[in-house]
Amino acid sequence: MNAAADRRAAWHESFTLPLVFLTVTLLGGLRIDADGGLRFLVPPLMALVLAVMLVAAIYRAGAFVPAALVHDTRSRLENAGGLVVVATMWTAATQVVNTLTPEAGLLAFAVNVAWLVLFTNTLAVRPDRARLLASLLVVFGAAFVVKYVLLGAIYAPEGGATRRVALALLEGVSLGTLAYAPPGPATGYVAFVAVLLFLGGVAALPRVPSRTAGTIVVASAVTGAIVEVSGPSEGTDPYDRR
Amino acid sequence: MTDVLETVGRFARSTVLLRMLGLVSAGVYAACIVWVHAVQPRTVAEVRGGVAATVGAYTIDRPAFDDGLRAFRADQFPEARRAFGRADPAGRDPMTQYYVAYSYLREGWGRFYEDDALYQQGAAALQRAVAASPGGVVTVDDPDLTLKSSDALAEAFARGQRREPADFNPLRVLGRRP
Repeated sequence: MNAAADRRAAWHESFTLPLVFLTVTLLGGLRIDADGGLRFLVPPLMALVLAVMLVAAIYRAGAFVPAALVHDTRSRLENAGGLVVVATMWTAATQVVNTLTPEAGLLAFAVNVAWLVLFTNTLAVRPDRARLLASLLVVFGAAFVVKYVLLGAIYAPEGGATRRVALALLEGVSLGTLAYAPPGPATGYVAFVAVLLFLGGVAALPRVPSRTAGTIVVASAVTGAIVEVSGPSEGTDPYDRR
Repeated sequence: MTDVLETVGRFARSTVLLRMLGLVSAGVYAACIVWVHAVQPRTVAEVRGGVAATVGAYTIDRPAFDDGLRAFRADQFPEARRAFGRADPAGRDPMTQYYVAYSYLREGWGRFYEDDALYQQGAAALQRAVAASPGGVVTVDDPDLTLKSSDALAEAFARGQRREPADFNPLRVLGRRP
């Protein structure tokens, strides 16, 4: 790997990935009410657990290769940077789950159970990287639509066309005492950006570790297994997305 | 000299510096995130004010504070609080928040009863004042004020919200406004 690729890798690991994941961490906990008031939510314990499962699923799919970030052959500084990426990815995953889950009540319980089933299913299926990203896009998109579009409209105090349509579709179904406090409209936009940033960050994770002493460590994208291949490494770029 | 410059130039171009800067920036960003979750600022102005106060750069709008003080002394308490709000939008200045709390005390004080709702808002403002004060106590040397420290003011709020036999003492009507 040449000096330019080294610098690009260092920039990517030291700035791009941590800052993207930290931004997701910040935005995922932000709630903006209708009056513009801010609230920063600490994720519930269940979100921490679900985030571990999500990171595990990303690892099993080969989208996240720990050896590409933390490895014996890397320097201490490189490993510290790699650990920061891993830690920030986990906090970002926590807040993504947090922002897509209703905050309390029966709906929060139901959505948490749904997350648990979906992530367990993803772990069992072991999709490849591309399929995992597509799957996460669909799952997060669906959760976003449910929380911020459907529930937001149904429980909006002032009502609206979406509420009338949703209630017409659910004809005969009573919401009864199913309590839900919809977040302000601005929160939906913030959550949208946070989810897209998270998926972008996961897609941008390095998959092949850096060259060290003429040896390249190659990670299988499907199984997550690590194979060491000796040989010339000049010109090898771990961020080559081919 | 040339060797030193060359060494510095090499270091600046190396990935070591880049990675160190990355670690520092991630650490600062993470600290900011922890801070907003701990402090829970309610508005963007509070976020700005909090950050400025952290680095010691927060200042109040002095003319607005003077406006507030004039209204306070003229017993125009809602107007005074509006001006104090302009002067200290982040609620980070102990003195301004003390006057805000005091304005609630005077507005809520009555010869026959105290207004609990106003006293509660006053206690909240006093908490902000104490939290923003480095020593945890606010002392204001203003001859117009009867209660000159946050401890005395806090006790006045607590006493005002308590129900006790002394509340029914008819001599209360002769009491002096704080």
